[in-house]
Amino acid sequence: MPSEVTEGKIARFSRSLSRLEEAPSYAKSRYQTDVFQEANRLLETEEGLEFLYQYAHRFDAAGVFQDGPWEDPSKLQPPLVAGSLQAKGLPYVIEMLSDLRMLAIAEGKGEHPKVSQEMAMDFLNEVMALNLDLLFPNASEASRIEEKENTVETQRLFQFISQYLSSSALSETLIYEIERLTAQRPITVKRTVSMIKMAKEMLRSETSDDQRAMLESYVSSIEGPSQLSRSYQQANEYRKQLMSLSTEELRKESEQLGLSMRKTGLCSPHHSVLARFLSRKSPHLLPVLLQLTGKGKANLEEHAELVHQLIKVSLFPSTCQSVYGLALLLERGVLSASPVIPGLRRMIELDIRPEVRSALFNTVSEGEGLTANSILLSGVISVLGQPLGVGQGLNPTCQAARGISLWAQHAPGYLLEIIPRAARDGDIDMVFEGVQIHSKDLQGGLAPDLHPELDPVSLVLVPHLDRIYSEMMSRVALRGEDGHRWVNPAFYGNWVQKGFSTVIEPITGSVTDYPGFVRLFYATHHPEYNDDYELIYPNPVGIFITNVHGKMLGFHAVSIQRIAKSPDGEYRVYFYNPNNDGSQNWGQGIECTVMGKGELSGESSLPFEEFTSRLYAFHYNPYEQGDAYAVEAENISMVKSLAKESWGHEYTWISK
Amino acid sequence: MELDQLELNQTLQESQPEGKTIPYLTALIGWSLPAIEACDKLNRPFVVVGPPDFKDYAEKHDITFVGWEFDRLNEGSDKLYKQLKALGAEVAVPLYEECVEWAGALNSRFREEPRLFNRSLLLRDKGMMKRKAQMAGIKVGVFEEARDKEDVKRFLKRVNDALLKVDGDKNEPIHCKPLDKAGSVGHRAIDDPSDIDALTDSDFPLLMESHLDGQEFSCEVFVHGGKIQFLNITEYVKLGYSNFVPPSPSLEEKRPIIRKAIEQLIEAFEIENGVIHPEYFIMPDGTLHFGEVAARVPGGHIFDLIERAYGFSAYEAQILCSDPNTTEEELRKFFPAEDDALGYAGCLMVHPHVNYIEKLTIPEELEEHSFFEKHDMFTPPQGKVAERVGFGNHYGTIFFFGDDSAEMTRLLVDYEKYDFYL
Repeated sequence: MPSEVTEGKIARFSRSLSRLEEAPSYAKSRYQTDVFQEANRLLETEEGLEFLYQYAHRFDAAGVFQDGPWEDPSKLQPPLVAGSLQAKGLPYVIEMLSDLRMLAIAEGKGEHPKVSQEMAMDFLNEVMALNLDLLFPNASEASRIEEKENTVETQRLFQFISQYLSSSALSETLIYEIERLTAQRPITVKRTVSMIKMAKEMLRSETSDDQRAMLESYVSSIEGPSQLSRSYQQANEYRKQLMSLSTEELRKESEQLGLSMRKTGLCSPHHSVLARFLSRKSPHLLPVLLQLTGKGKANLEEHAELVHQLIKVSLFPSTCQSVYGLALLLERGVLSASPVIPGLRRMIELDIRPEVRSALFNTVSEGEGLTANSILLSGVISVLGQPLGVGQGLNPTCQAARGISLWAQHAPGYLLEIIPRAARDGDIDMVFEGVQIHSKDLQGGLAPDLHPELDPVSLVLVPHLDRIYSEMMSRVALRGEDGHRWVNPAFYGNWVQKGFSTVIEPITGSVTDYPGFVRLFYATHHPEYNDDYELIYPNPVGIFITNVHGKMLGFHAVSIQRIAKSPDGEYRVYFYNPNNDGSQNWGQGIECTVMGKGELSGESSLPFEEFTSRLYAFHYNPYEQGDAYAVEAENISMVKSLAKESWGHEYTWISK
Repeated sequence: MELDQLELNQTLQESQPEGKTIPYLTALIGWSLPAIEACDKLNRPFVVVGPPDFKDYAEKHDITFVGWEFDRLNEGSDKLYKQLKALGAEVAVPLYEECVEWAGALNSRFREEPRLFNRSLLLRDKGMMKRKAQMAGIKVGVFEEARDKEDVKRFLKRVNDALLKVDGDKNEPIHCKPLDKAGSVGHRAIDDPSDIDALTDSDFPLLMESHLDGQEFSCEVFVHGGKIQFLNITEYVKLGYSNFVPPSPSLEEKRPIIRKAIEQLIEAFEIENGVIHPEYFIMPDGTLHFGEVAARVPGGHIFDLIERAYGFSAYEAQILCSDPNTTEEELRKFFPAEDDALGYAGCLMVHPHVNYIEKLTIPEELEEHSFFEKHDMFTPPQGKVAERVGFGNHYGTIFFFGDDSAEMTRLLVDYEKYDFYL
């Protein structure tokens, strides 16, 4: 129930702000509550924001945010804004005021020593781009169904701020976000799709022609990349239309859909419909739809019968993303590995356990008439086609995701062995130091309640892998050495090297010989010092995750894919980050990139020394060590200072 | 900054009697922002002695600070004294219950009066306090110290025997409280012997006393040179929940009797300077029963209410009265007449009536009432309500101000029952 702005409310707010302004710096907290209370009374009203904004340039100096998490606007992070706005009580009020303060800086009404007008504007643009569902409330079904706190007030704030932002800057931010997400070619595209759906709303406001074209191409990639597919949104109608096309028209249609899919990694339901149609009626056009290269074509020809079967069983409107997976699977030549074909066939007939079946059904919408086997098979196709597109979703299960990705790359036969074990038997077993470990006998793991926004293969495997990994780690917990040394080779398989080095001395928890650790990494991994041994299999390494201010947040598992020179000639580490948002900012200017520095789809990359500064453990081949002594002292000291001034704060350094 | 300091020192030099050390710091014992602000407003240089956790904050805001753990038994008080003395401290002002004996110890060193320390200990042991009052002829209830559960059982029985209760009658409750905690912290009323089992070893020793009937109220007495400089009377509407200042006319008219009782108390406890906060029960015939007395900032936002009702800062008053060198003239200028209140200032401390908070509702009639001043409640981000110990920490406070004590009482009674938290 919106109340009204009254003279009294404005006067009371103004008075409380003046009292805060006059208070000595140490006593601000005594007067902040009154400001927040009075602000809240105004925020409940329709025009309250307008009035609060007139005071916003005074907030910082008055001490509205002093001694709290919002104190330094240069440290605020756009992704956290929505969470605060939807929190109950005080955080919501402070976030509202903070955003108004940011707007005042962006508009040049207020000044801040650490935040320029442009920085404030960029901040607000990013906040808007990340929260388009709040700016255009009707765009997302979810936001309507899920009841959240302060929805009306938050939407009011976003409308208010958007009046001051240029829509082209906003579109630009949005396009960049989508580009960044699609560049990584994740298997699960829910987030990308929901962003694109919101981007549709931007087409109604004024944007430049380039941006409009970009946005339109993203929208069409998920809603129909061709004239025909756009006109016939319903799968059955589209199918009917296909029947009346001439061969030439069909080729053109296939080409349009294929190009769009290859450009963005995104498919629309039409892709599945067309793939099924072609497979039956015009198989010679399949390579056009899948946009295959010579190698892919050869693979398709060799296994035409099987591919036909795979399409029939697994490609439906709900599983359309696997059309892209199929294209890449053929390019990778996975079908030529002998265990793969029978392994895939087995998926079709597999007797899937009820609980696995219901988890799989939850990934598609109701009433599609799919079998659980179809869903699982489509997932397998995606994983084999896009091994670096496997993500951990919202789960702390980076190790399991890393395993699935590694096996999909180098041991597809093994992967196809454990999927039926889990889906049919509800068990996976691994041998660890002579002891058989069965996941069905284990409890807990890191993620006892798995968040279900995952690809089908992860849904089936992660609960088992997670428990086995935890069990192995607890078996070696008391050895006085970092357990990953033994667990990683046992868990991932013989692709992991037996040599192992770590930064932290586990018993004392201190950093001992840091320069030695860095030199060894250079000597085993840096092409200039390691006698040119190329990395053959991904190396599972442990890194310290730090936030934008370089503060340590915890440990994370990634895999080094390769180390190579970037297009502009610097050595970079290209790695797989299972949390699917690879372009993270780790502070100290260390920003992982996912495109533009020679990355393959799904890879993140960093300059060699920056990556090294976040490393805490890696495997190496003890027989392939290069010249540790040759590494320049300045490289070592640069890495060391980056390390010491970030995660290093959390440890005792007894190292030189 | 340094220039300001210099100026400050000079004015102090002029106003201080000869022979006083410069800069003549006031040591605030306990971390309290309003007290710091009051000292600042009085232009008195100060040092804060507080829990070490506040060190960073103090440094950030240029507050002279000495970290000290009041709870720990400590042989190092001499070190604290020397440290403060070296800084130029001359007066110690206790702000919280557990700071009282520390301030007492420091003041007795500053003034070279060993007895000051013993007097402060009197205020820190409720058993000793009651005994002292009784010896001075002040009316108190029946009390005893208990060392174990047996003591409590016996006391409950004997009190009720004395009240001529027979089997089957409901017991009159007895009150148990820790010897050295502030106000209602750890206070339990026990009428059923089975409740005694809920006590644990850590609750002992404790003070037991018989239940006193009558209207409960507290006084905040600003004392200087052993004389009452200002007597505030706070009417309790419901102990731990609501109170207001000054009291309604029916209690106000007892002020002369109350003043006499306070004078008796000051004499018995040999209180010279500072603030005391005694609690009494008054019977309809005007008989006063003494509850207990503390020498610190009272709870229940009473200092805020005094400021709202009388227009002077009670924190400043406490600091002025704690310093033996404050002059008569300064005090006269500072305090208004006791019958010169601007209106009635009251507050309600809100305790949730639920175990899990979904949301906060503030009724519109409340916000629109002419007595309503402000409140400080937000929906807590985390809904679970902490278990209450004694009267626990309240979740928020509503402040009222108006010209009618009956209406004030009605508001405090009515809204105490209102479910602000759902």
